[in-house]
Order: sequence, then C-alpha cells, then structure tokens
Amino acid sequence: MSEQTRIEKIKYGLLKTIDVSGFKVFDPVVRLIFGEEPQKQVKDITRFMLMPIVFVCCCLVAWNFIAPRHKTKSGEVPTPAQVWNALTINDTLYDRENEKESDFALSDDQREAKIEEVKTLIETKESESTKLKEELATIEASAKQKKAEALAPLQAEYSELKTTHKEARAKRKIEAESLAEAVTKKKATTEELLTFLRDSSRLKEDEKEKEQIIKDQIAEINNEKPKSLQAAQMASDSAATEVQHLKKRLDYLSSGNRSLKVAKAKDSASSALTELESAKSPAEILAAANTVVKNEERASKIAKQEYPRASTIWFQMWRSLFTVFIGFVLAAVVAIPIGIMCGLNRVAMACLTPIISIFKPVSPVVWLLIFQIVVGAFFPNPETHPFFVFLNSLPIIGRLNANPALIFSACTVAMCALWPALVNTALGVSSVEKDHMNVAKVLRLGLWSRLTKIIIPSSLPLMFAGLRISLGVGWMVLIAAEALSSSEGLGKFVWDEYQNGSSLTFSNILLACFVIGIIGFILDRIMIVLQRAVSFDDGAATV
Amino acid sequence: MAIASGVPFPREANCFSRSNKRTSIPQLSELKLHSKPVKRKDIKNLLFPILSFAVALFVMGLSEASGVVTDPTTPAQPLAKPTPEQLDVEKDELKFGFIKLTDCAPIVIAKEKGFFEAEGLQVEVIAQPNWKQLLDNVINGELDGAHMLSGQPIAATIGFGTKAHIVTAYTLDLNGNGITVSNDVWAAMVENDPSLDTPTPQHPISAAPLKPVVQEKLDSGEKLQMGMVFPVSTHNYEIRYWLASAGIHPGMYTSEDIKGFTEAQVELSVTPPPQMPSALESGTISGYCVGEPWNQQAVAKSIGVPVTTNYDIWKNNPEKVFGVTKAWADENPNTHIAVVKALIRAGKWLDETDGAGNLVNREEACRLLAKPNYVGADFDVIKNSMTGFFYFQKSDKRAMPDFNVFFKYQSSYPWYSDGVWFLTQMRRWGQITEPKPAQWYDETAKSVYLPLVYLDAAKRLMDEGHIAETDIPWDTDGYRPATSDFIDGIEYDGKKPLEYLKKHAIGHQN
Amino acid sequence: MTTPAMEIDAVDIGFGPPGQRTEVLSDINLKVEKNEFVAIIGFSGSGKSTLMNLLAGIQPASSGEVRMNGTPVREPGPELGILFQNYSLLPWLSVYGNIDLAVKQVFPAKTAAERKDYIQRYIDMVSLSGSEWKKPSELSGGMRQRLSLARTLSMQPEVLLLDEPLSALDALTRANLQDEIIRIWEEDRRTVIMITNDVDEAVLMADRIIALTPGPKATLGKSFPVTLDRPRDRTTLNFNPEFIALRNEVTKYMIGINEEAKKLRVSADLPLPGLMPIDFNSHDRKPRVAQTSDLIAPGSQQVPEVEERELVGAADE
Repeated sequence: MSEQTRIEKIKYGLLKTIDVSGFKVFDPVVRLIFGEEPQKQVKDITRFMLMPIVFVCCCLVAWNFIAPRHKTKSGEVPTPAQVWNALTINDTLYDRENEKESDFALSDDQREAKIEEVKTLIETKESESTKLKEELATIEASAKQKKAEALAPLQAEYSELKTTHKEARAKRKIEAESLAEAVTKKKATTEELLTFLRDSSRLKEDEKEKEQIIKDQIAEINNEKPKSLQAAQMASDSAATEVQHLKKRLDYLSSGNRSLKVAKAKDSASSALTELESAKSPAEILAAANTVVKNEERASKIAKQEYPRASTIWFQMWRSLFTVFIGFVLAAVVAIPIGIMCGLNRVAMACLTPIISIFKPVSPVVWLLIFQIVVGAFFPNPETHPFFVFLNSLPIIGRLNANPALIFSACTVAMCALWPALVNTALGVSSVEKDHMNVAKVLRLGLWSRLTKIIIPSSLPLMFAGLRISLGVGWMVLIAAEALSSSEGLGKFVWDEYQNGSSLTFSNILLACFVIGIIGFILDRIMIVLQRAVSFDDGAATV
Repeated sequence: MAIASGVPFPREANCFSRSNKRTSIPQLSELKLHSKPVKRKDIKNLLFPILSFAVALFVMGLSEASGVVTDPTTPAQPLAKPTPEQLDVEKDELKFGFIKLTDCAPIVIAKEKGFFEAEGLQVEVIAQPNWKQLLDNVINGELDGAHMLSGQPIAATIGFGTKAHIVTAYTLDLNGNGITVSNDVWAAMVENDPSLDTPTPQHPISAAPLKPVVQEKLDSGEKLQMGMVFPVSTHNYEIRYWLASAGIHPGMYTSEDIKGFTEAQVELSVTPPPQMPSALESGTISGYCVGEPWNQQAVAKSIGVPVTTNYDIWKNNPEKVFGVTKAWADENPNTHIAVVKALIRAGKWLDETDGAGNLVNREEACRLLAKPNYVGADFDVIKNSMTGFFYFQKSDKRAMPDFNVFFKYQSSYPWYSDGVWFLTQMRRWGQITEPKPAQWYDETAKSVYLPLVYLDAAKRLMDEGHIAETDIPWDTDGYRPATSDFIDGIEYDGKKPLEYLKKHAIGHQN
Repeated sequence: MTTPAMEIDAVDIGFGPPGQRTEVLSDINLKVEKNEFVAIIGFSGSGKSTLMNLLAGIQPASSGEVRMNGTPVREPGPELGILFQNYSLLPWLSVYGNIDLAVKQVFPAKTAAERKDYIQRYIDMVSLSGSEWKKPSELSGGMRQRLSLARTLSMQPEVLLLDEPLSALDALTRANLQDEIIRIWEEDRRTVIMITNDVDEAVLMADRIIALTPGPKATLGKSFPVTLDRPRDRTTLNFNPEFIALRNEVTKYMIGINEEAKKLRVSADLPLPGLMPIDFNSHDRKPRVAQTSDLIAPGSQQVPEVEERELVGAADE
C-alpha cells in the first residue's frame, strides 16, 4: 500500500512540475510511464507531440526544397544545412577566441608545451592547406577551361549575329536613303517610306532581342560556379584560415604572451636598477630611476591585461541578455510604482493618461536616438566614468564590457517595455475585488498594509502578465536597438552580418533569427512560470 | 491535457531541446560560470547599480558636465632623440572604430600583426554602423580614434555637419573607390557609345555616354538617382567630379538645401555602402560611387557594371584618414605617436613587394579582413581588388596594382594639399556657403593635418630600422607638387585653391 | 431603558444626481437588543446588501444614522463582524493565513505563540482542522464559508452581520452550516443580524424576523417574533404547527407586499434615457453602459451603480 502511494506521489509531483513549468505536452509521457490509460496517452502523444514534430519536419523539408530554388541576385536563401553550418562556423570562431585567450594567459612550462603542440599542428595544417590550394588551382583551371569551351561557340555566334545585324542595318539605311530619293522624284509615296522605316525599326528591335538572348546565355555561363569549385574553395579557405589562426596563436604564445611581456618589462626595470646603482650624475640617476618606476608600472599594468576578445555570437547573446535584463528591471522599477499609483488614484491616472497615450506608440528607434543624446550627455568620458569602471570591475558582468551604448539600448528597452507593465499594474490594482477591499475596510488596514496585504497580492497575476508582455516587447526592441546603436549584442551581430555581405550572411542572419527566437521563447517560459507561481485563480473562477 | 494549450507547445519545445544543447554549453563557459558560481554578493553587486542608476547618472552627469578641463600634458618633444624603448603611452587600452570597407586594412593589420602590441597598446577594433555614428562615437569618447573619410575631420572642424575639432596625422590609403552603374544604364551607355560594346572597353570611361541617359530621364520629368556614401565623403566629390567633367550637373548644396539637389540633373543621395547593391538591384538608384568590396560585389552578383575607379578620376587621390579628436591628441601625445608608428608599419607591411613588384602580403591581409568581425566579405571578393586586380565585368579582369595604395608614393603622410583639395570641393559644391580667402584654406588644412606627429613617429621607426629614409618626405612643406592627373586634365595646385576653383565650369568658382 | 446593541434611526439611502435620484432604502428604523438574533428577509434586489453595508459602516447613509451601543457607526471595523455572501477570502492566503491576517490586525498585542493557538481554536471551531494550509481555491463552497465565519468570529465582533451567508450553497451544505452557526452562536452568544431570502432559514435561526419591502424605496415592514424554543431541531420542526403557521404567515406577507410593489412600479414615471457619461477609467473589468434599466428596472430590480461607487470610494482612500 505504501509503495503504491509513494509511486502516486512521485507521479503527481512530476505532473505538477511539468504543469507549472509550462511543459504540459509531456504530461501524457509521464502518465504513460506510470501506466495510466496507455491507449489514451499514446493517442495524446501522437496527437500533441508526434504530429507537431512531424509538422516541423515537414517544414524543414519544405524549406530545404524551396530555399535553393529561390534565388535573387542579392543572394540565396540558405538551406537548413547551411544554417547549421553557420552555427558550427560561429562556434569555431568562439572556440578560437577561447584558445587565443588561454594562450595569452599561459606561462612557463605550459606555454612551452603549448608552443610545441601548436607548431606541429601548424606543420600538418600548412601542408594540408598547400595541398588544398593546389587542388583548388587545378579545379579552377578546369572550370575556367570548361567555361571557355562553353562560351566560345556562344561568343562566336554573338559576334556573327552582330556583324550580320550590322550589315542588315547598313543595308536598310541605304535602302531608306534611296527610298527617300524616290520620294523626291515622286516614284514612291511618303507613306511607303514611313512603312519601310517602321518595319526597319521593328526589325532592329527583333535583332536586339536576339542579341540579348545570347548575351543572357553568356552571362549565365559566366555566373555559373560549379559545386566542386565552391567546395574546393571553401575547403582551401578554411584550411588557410586555420593556419592563420594557428600562427596567431603562436604569436600569443611567444612575443604576444602576457607573461613574457611582463617579464620583459621587469627585465628592463631590473637592468635600469643596476644602472641606477652605477649612475653618477644627478641627471643619470633621475633618468634611471624614472625608467625603473615606469617599467615597474608597465609590468603591473600588463599583468592585469586581459586578452581583447573579438565578439562572437555567444558573447553577444550574453550581452543582449544582460542588456534586456537591465532594461526590464528599469522598466519594472518605474512601471510598477507608477502603475500602482494610477490604479489607486483616479486623478493620478487622469494625469498620466495623456503621457501614456502619446508615448506608448512611439517607435523604439526614436527612443534610441533620444536616449543617445540624453544618456550620452551623462558620460562625457565613458572609459573613466565611475559607473562603468564599477560595472566593468564586477566579476561576471565585467566581461560584458558595459558602455554607454549598452545603457541607452537598455533605456530604449525600458521605455518600450514600460507600458504593458504599467497599464496592467494599474488595471490589476484598480480591479481588486470589492470584497477584498471590504475585508481591508473591516480590518481597518492602513494604507501600507492595504497595499502589501491586499492590493499588491491581488494584482500580482495581472502585474506579471504585464511584465511578461514587457519582457517580450523588450527583447524584440533590444535587437533593433542594438542593430542601430552598435551596442554589442545579437542585434549588432545581425547588422554586422548584413554589412559583411559575404556568402555566409544570410545563413548567419537566419541563425541569429533562431537564436533570438529560442531565447525569446525561454524568457517567455520563465515569465509564464513566474506568473503561474503568483497567480491564485488557477482556473477557479470563484473563490 | 488541454488541446488548446497542447498544440503550440510541442513544436516550441522541440526547438528548445534541439538547440539548447548547442547553445547552452558555450554560453556557460563564455562567462566561466563553471569556475565562478554567482555568489550572493554578485547578485547584490548587480542590483546595486540598477537601483542607484538614476542617482549615479545624475550625479556623475553633473560632476562631469561641470567640466574638469584637463591641462594638455606637455607635448611630446618633436624629434627629440627618440629611444628604441617603447613610448611612455598615456593610455594603453584603446578602441578604434572602422567601417566595413577594405581600406580599414592598416588598422586591422596593425592589430592582427601585433604592431600595436609592439608599441605597448592593447587595441580593440570595433565595426561601426555608419559614418555619422562613427564620428559621433569618436566625439563622445566612446572611441579613441577611427577610420574616417578624408572629408570628415575637415568638415567636422569647419562645422559642416556635426561640429568638433578632429585632427589626423595619418592617411590610411589612396584610391580604392569605384563608380558602378546598373545593367540597364550600362546598356544605354553602350548604345550611346558603341566603342564600349566590347568585353574590355577602353578606360577611362567618362560620363559623356551617360549624358543622353540623364537627358532622357529629365525629358520624362525624372532625375537619374545615384548613391554615394556620405555628404563629405570622397565618393561624393568623386562622383560629382566625374559627372561634372562630362557636363552633367550633380547639384549644389545651399544653406537651405542640405541634400545637395539644387540645380541637379542627377540626384545623389546618401546610401550606406552595404545597401548599395540591393538598392541598385531594386532600382532605387541607378548607380553609385563606393569603396570596396561593394563594386566587386555588384560584379559578382551581376547586378551592375563598374564603369570607372577613382584612380581614373584622379590618379592617387587621398581616400581615408585616421582621425582623433583634437582634445584626445592633446591629452595623449605619446599614445598618438605610438598609434601612428603602428599604422605606418602596417601600411608598409601592406605595400611590401617582392623583387618582381608583386604585393606579397596582400593575400594574408585579405584573409584577415575576411574575418566576420572585420570586413567580413568573402575572401574571394576582397582579394579581387586588394591583390591588385579589378573586375569591371565578369569577362573583364584588369591588373590595377595601384587600386589600393597604403604606403607607396609617401601616401601615408598627412598632406596639407589633400586637405585643401577637399576644402575646394566643399566650396565648389556649396557645402561651404561663403567664398573664403586662399589663406583660410591653408590655415584650415594646417589645423586638421598634423604632419609633426607623423614625422615624429616616422623618425622613431627609422631609428628602430623599420622603415627606410626614402619612405618619408622629411623636408616637405606639406604640399604635393601641382598635378593634372585628373580625368579632365585640369591642374590642381594646393597652394592656389582659388585659381583651381575658377577652372571648373560647374560649381562655385570663388 | 437600555440602549439597543444596534440601532438604525430614520435612514435613507439614494444614488444618482439630483433629478435622477433613485432611493434604494427609505425611512429604515430598527432596534436590535443585545444578544438578539434578528433575521431580515427580503426579495433579491430589494436593497438587502445595501442595508447590510449600511450596518457594517461600509455604506454611509444619505440621511439618518446607524448606532452601535449608542455611538454612531461611521466606518467599518472589527467590532462589526460581517460575513459576506461570497466569502471575501483572500485567495493567495491559506486558511491559516486568512485568519492570521485578521487576528494580527485586531489583536496586535498577541505573541506569535498565542496567536497560533488562538487561530487554531477558530479553525477547530468551524471544523476545518487539517486544512490549515490549503488555499481557498482548494476548498469547497461550504468550507470556504466556514473559513469566512472563522475569520469573522476570530475578530470577536460585538455584532455579527450575516449577509445571505448561505445563499450560494447547495441545500444540504446549507442545512449543515445553519446548524453550525446556531451551535456556535449558542456557545458564544452575541448580537446577530442576518439577511436572507429564505423564510425557513429565518424561522429556524432567528429570534425575530423583519420583512424588507421590495425596492425602490425599500423599507422595513412587519416584524414577526419567533417564539420557538431553542435548541430547535429541524427534523421535528417541520411538524411543529407554530413553525408552520409562522412560516405561512411570513410567506404570505412577503408575497403580498411584492404584489403591491409591482403595482406601484408600473405607475412610476419613466426617467430620461441614460445620459450618464461612460467612465473610461472604469475601475471595473466589465464594460459598462448606462441603461434605463439601470435607473429603474421594471421586472429586474437592480440597484444602479452601487457597487462601482463603493469600489471607487475604497480605492480612493
């Protein structure tokens, strides 16, 4: 019996967790595991889990099918595989930054060992790269030849066509002239001449059209790029890039290494120190002493230096999350008290209504530009500004390189995310049930207890519903704000990719689309869970 | 399970579980969460700035705005016995901005090849979305310096657009721009000038065959639309020069018309470089003048035909400079010299040739520039122009060894005559609304270009053995000799700006 | 003569602007002795809740006065323990938490341990032991009203006001709770005023039954003393001739006054169509449109705007 109840308890615990965390789809899976009405669960699983999966797969297949067939001159729509490839490339970029960062910080034996490792790697990669280059050259040559072969007859045809057309045109010109002469001699009517000219103009158009057809064919062949050539180019490119990366690593392990640079500065300091001891004249002593101090300072400065990371998509993702978090908190801090005030007091609501109504529909882009000026004015010297010095000295956040761009992106997020939270809070507060207020009256609760014990708890579900919308809005706004303000983040990633205009551009933009979407989804889920945690209705209409 | 809520979830949940695996692992390590768990204190630390945000902003804003004017530190003794030791830099962590164009190469190379590090500088190179924002970020101190259009420091200093005193001690490159027209316009030009109807037409191509196209448009009540990069960019002046040299009026700026459309037969509007090809394809503009890789991009995608490069418009014309604010230069004289040293080395590295005159380092440079955090375009596309070749059409690849000049011809020296040329163009097209005396041109150029800093850096490099004595014009007065290497053959002498203005038929002549 | 525990003295209550004023209650006079159990019986919509709110101090009188032990009632308070028709429990608090909120507020001097015992006593009293940590949403209707009762009683009110406490419950639960309330009242006697629409309930529980005439201008009608012995047993009561007679008398009276009221209402003047401005900053979730039926409702007898006003007033404070 106890065994039975224990299992039941585990089951309901699991079901409840699933329910609260918003993954109700897995409900039948759990029930199936515990053997509850297997047939019904299997049916539910097929309907609500398998079907969506199948549907998504169908979408992927359709995407894969349509994408390569949809070409514009600006680029091709990437296939799922290409987007996946973009993901791995971005991941590699990220890994490379990690490698360089760790190389930069290595010292002593570890560094020596790493140098050896990298050197052997370079050797193998270099030979690989040369081989690939050679291959590429042969493929390129053959492709070029093939192209030339394909083009030769067309070009011949084109020039032939052109000469015949030229001749025809010249002939027509002479004919027209003679016809004109005939008109003067009254041997032909003007009507005849006009008809002739009309016809020849039409003929000219036809000729042009024919030429254009061949020209187009030539252009098409010129534009063609065989798959094998593309692949060879990509392989050779990536091998060469890898070699370059390894060489840069070597650099960070040797001359660019932090410990070596520190040692060098220390050496200079100590040699200057011996100079100082042997120095005689006051000028010499002063100069040597100065050198000692400077080099000591330099050594300690270098010892604190961090590897300057190039931004990668994952870094940008974290920074976006941080920015949206700041913006969201700002929005909540402003919106909730104002919302409560509006909800409690109709005069306050009336006062704020015009402001809310006017500012709510303003586009985030406008806010961004405004905040750029407003916030920028507070940081005339951002590098040394105490606020940023403080932020960047924090353990984890410090790595995100907070700067004014981050702050005004966050402010833009806050400005746009403010309204749903504010309006919903006001609504929540003003629609506290009359009975609950009567309870407060009967208990003679003061304003503060009334707020904390009745009004706020009662409006929490609506408040959180508002905050959830706010976060969603904020996340959307942030991407636009970052793109425009060049604040490091996913928005900037998208914008930079667009500016790069490389063959990877569209894959990367689609990749960013998924990353942004998935994060947005996760954020929304978190808010749903929070919202559920504070809501008491739970579907029960009357309490 | 409720049907209504059950339907949308499985798909999302599926996405979640699929990519979470890939995304979450690097996320964590990115922040080293595994080695440093978030402590309570950290959370407090995090909360504090947010709560104190408004207060902090306000207080700091007031205190900083009240203006603590730093005394300009003693300027570096120019040419006073430099030592092979590193300079005693005032600031060793720097942020430089750039626009995704291949001519930012010296900055990228100086970073990637360790020239900055050799000067004890830790430099971050950050892509900027557009020239306006780049300039703003330099002015507001977010960036220490940036890759700028030659016209930008001058325009900012004289107050056309955002006013701020910007200076430059280093010219990043020469040439490097092209004018591309759409396929339709090219077809019309070919029709107007049958000599162009070959796979490899004779260059330079003037705008004369474009004139009938412009006229046709005007007759139908429209104006041909073309794109350029920025009102004070070299591109704007080059395309105007090219059009005007064939008698097409590109429009004047006036104090009311800041778009420069007055009297225009062709309207030139600002379009960000990356948007040029798509704007061309969609027909918003029929041609543009822009730097690389955007002309080669048009060829690669067969959406347009580059008709000329700015090398043909003015042989070896100055293109981009490295700009900083005057205030920054005054506060960080040694840093400024150190930066210029690194840039000179980068420029020299970029223009290194072997015995046969082949550019040996360009391919490596292209690979570096092709990284997504720099120019990011495809290696192949960047390679075209950077390695000394230029595709005018798919079938028309030409050697243009001087398409990008970074160091040759003593090009990186900040020439006053370059500044004066840009000032004459600003006056010619009405961006400078009032006629100015010749002396003003000279003084303005001298307030923007800082050859002393350049020479100091060069001297140190020569002593260190990184450059040869002949690389640097040691004894120049800052003015290049008069040249008539223009598409229309008009002679330019930087010392006679007013005479130069008079020589042009279109535009202000005084 | 002793001062009555609860006294209503010539109270009128009306709503609306002058000219369109609707009198809900008019000329109400009532005296309730200490420890007396009075039932006020009326049709739904006749202004019963308004009357209850008046007694509790939630609804101020337009004219006249309510007095408790001779002192005028001006605001609600714990001494006037009201048991709302729809329980008024705070859904985010547990059974214990709901009572705790009241006890903490009314007896701030109690220590934590004392409070705990005290609360437990009331939970036991209404037979909710074992459900201390359940949320109201997990309780049945009857249990919720028990909890509400426990909370009201825990404030130790001098007067207990029961506002149709059992009307939302099914018949069985209702009977059960009636017995419970009587039991508790017998154990711990205090003044009770109960509003109900159930004649049986009134006869079973009260010492005195007072009729409320149908609105508008509802007023208190005839008073019927209930002289049945206590404890009253519902099983035998049904055969008690006195009970039956009283029940019939009250029912007949009620039907009679309703007929009269209907006749009166037909002849009433039709007011102007609703021109009341729509309130945007409505404190109500439901859209509200002013209708003639709001002002005077032949057939449906709704009190216009009462609820809104109360809420607004509450929020404004």
